[in-house]
Amino acid sequence: MRTMSRGFASNYRIAVVVAAVVASFTGIGARLVSLHVLQRAKFLSYIGKARDEIIVQNARRGDILDAHGSLLATSRSLVVIGADPQVLCKEDEAKWPELARLLGLSPAELQKKFTGKIRMPDDEAPEIDPTADSHETRWVKLSDTVDESAYDQIKTLNVRGVYGSRIYSRAYPQNQLAAHVLGYVNREGEPVTGLERYLDFYLRGQNGWLESERDGLRHELAQFRSREVAPADGYDAVLSIDTVVQHMVEQELQALADKYHPAKATIIVGDPRTGFILALGNWPTFNLNDYNKADLPSQRNIAVADQFEPGSTFKIVAASGALDAGLVTPASTFDCTLESVEYKGTERRLPRESELDHFDHPLTVAEIIAKSSNKGAAQLGMLLGDEKFYDYARAFGFGELTGFPVGGEIDGQLAPPSKWDGLTITRMPMGQSVGATPMQVHCAMGVIASGGLLLRPQVVRQIRDVDGTVVYQFAPIVKRRVISEGTAQTMQHLLEGVAMADGSGTAPLAAISGFEVAGKTGTAQKLLPVTTPSGKTVLRYSDRHHVASFVGFFPASNPQVAITVIVDDADAAVPGGIAYGNLVAAPVFKRLGERLIQYLNIQPPIASTGPKFAMEGGAR
Amino acid sequence: MNKASNHAFVNQVLIGTLMMICFSGSLGLGTVWLRREISLTANHNKQLEARLSEINRHIDETTAAIAAEQSPDTLVRRNAEWHLGLVPPRELQVVRVPDDVEQRLTAKNRARLFATEGGSAFTAVVFHPGGVQ
Repeated sequence: MRTMSRGFASNYRIAVVVAAVVASFTGIGARLVSLHVLQRAKFLSYIGKARDEIIVQNARRGDILDAHGSLLATSRSLVVIGADPQVLCKEDEAKWPELARLLGLSPAELQKKFTGKIRMPDDEAPEIDPTADSHETRWVKLSDTVDESAYDQIKTLNVRGVYGSRIYSRAYPQNQLAAHVLGYVNREGEPVTGLERYLDFYLRGQNGWLESERDGLRHELAQFRSREVAPADGYDAVLSIDTVVQHMVEQELQALADKYHPAKATIIVGDPRTGFILALGNWPTFNLNDYNKADLPSQRNIAVADQFEPGSTFKIVAASGALDAGLVTPASTFDCTLESVEYKGTERRLPRESELDHFDHPLTVAEIIAKSSNKGAAQLGMLLGDEKFYDYARAFGFGELTGFPVGGEIDGQLAPPSKWDGLTITRMPMGQSVGATPMQVHCAMGVIASGGLLLRPQVVRQIRDVDGTVVYQFAPIVKRRVISEGTAQTMQHLLEGVAMADGSGTAPLAAISGFEVAGKTGTAQKLLPVTTPSGKTVLRYSDRHHVASFVGFFPASNPQVAITVIVDDADAAVPGGIAYGNLVAAPVFKRLGERLIQYLNIQPPIASTGPKFAMEGGAR
Repeated sequence: MNKASNHAFVNQVLIGTLMMICFSGSLGLGTVWLRREISLTANHNKQLEARLSEINRHIDETTAAIAAEQSPDTLVRRNAEWHLGLVPPRELQVVRVPDDVEQRLTAKNRARLFATEGGSAFTAVVFHPGGVQ
């Protein structure tokens, strides 16, 4: 031991080894101090720029479902396929036809994209010699609508220089169905209209992110993930819209359009007991998946964004008000042959009756409703007086937003009595001098169907999280009581007289066999600009352009469905040249009602008059 | 004695240093191995996440395709294309049962169960168009 120690540990060697070790450690230490202390900020900044990265993890936008869980709007990924023409190989040319097929291009189109070396501003750009020495294109887009299945096949082809990058896209599997209710999300991912916009807070979700590092090839080094916040996917929205009912409505709208070529039309179907809307359709409409090809009029939600003079459907206000105020009973009579009536000390000229109507005897309130007498409605309005009539009209929801949550809603026009002229009290009760949206008219009829309550029209039933747990449940919202329950029942009974199959009312074509139908027709003249002989342009009621409507519900004694049909300017295609509500809108109500009876299993409150079958026998 | 003691101390320091180097080296190698394992696991997790995302994307795509196939428009088109002749029922074809169907079926079943052994629980079914007066 001693020998070994002496042989190895000479003073000189020891000094050299110690010096070397000390020098090495000193050098390492100095370098470490230099790197970690003196130049720390500089290198951290460099590394941070070169390697650190925050990767955003996109949250998935929630789905929109109908009342039975059918998908109305969903999110899916699409792949943008592009190519670097400079990297393409000669050996892959045999795969190009298959690639073209998968991309939905012709082989010639793909060939053109691959071989072009010049970036073309657009298709009309002049052809440039591809062999010319010029700026080389390193990226050419082949398609931006490739789905995952096709992308898998494209990857299997393994064409060098062809790349894909994913984008999230909104898909509407039912195409144009409920287009105006749903709205759409544009290419930038921003919700533009409808429920997509209104429910964006719930649907959008919260993007996640993670801090990580990338290597020199820009590949993520997963082991260096430091912080990670998972994305929170958006909630799903469940609507009260029923896909089947919506489809029925859109079929009827298309049939209306084919037959009458109207300027526009709208149909609303709702549950009057809750205010929830089962279907809302407009014509013209558009395909949500091709929203960029639709013109603006097609995208307009006529049901809430357009107003029209409601015409005779507005007579329910005067009649309900007079009955509710106890001024009349259904049996009270009015002389509907008078040309004028004294009101507040002034003689007021009464409106004309419809061309088809002439009443040679005093009409009861029930007959005024059933036969839609303009003079009768005017007298009911005058009986109420300016202020009270206006108050009832406001209470029915006219002149204010209904609160239907799809955006773009207008509040219509209902001027206060201080702005009325001498004739307004005779014209407004028959639905002139007032502007209303189809949704306002629908809600007003809903007041009578619901027993006197004005309900807020709603379309969203539930908000659910990704696990299907209900986060928020929407309940019916009563805005106010408008008329007493008794008055509402009386009105229900009076409105039954409108849709009697025997023709005693104005809408026999709305009658549904075996069911009590309550409703009101409307045939409103349109106010159109006319140039007078003096050269001035004034608004005049047209005899050739009308808005035809029928608003009703059934069964009258136990209302389960309310339907509003409004058709604008269908006169040209109607025999006689006037699109009466009974001719144009009432049959649509009837057809829809008959289909809804089967689909919603609405039970008739009265015995069916159709043939019956009785079964005898079976197990006893 | 003093010199030998110094040598022994230096030798111990050297041996200690070598051992330290070996230990540090082992620690270093261990750390590298651990980091490699962490890297492999992290990459494996990343691949699993990517696979999960891919599956979710395919599910989304398939769900959208199923929804499109089940849309009323498509069903109506298929009905015509495949000549199925399916039509909605008309009121005339519907027989409404006003009483509770469950109770009716229960009563019927009970009657069958407790029927006398000798007699049959069933009788022939006869339809009377227009109903029984």
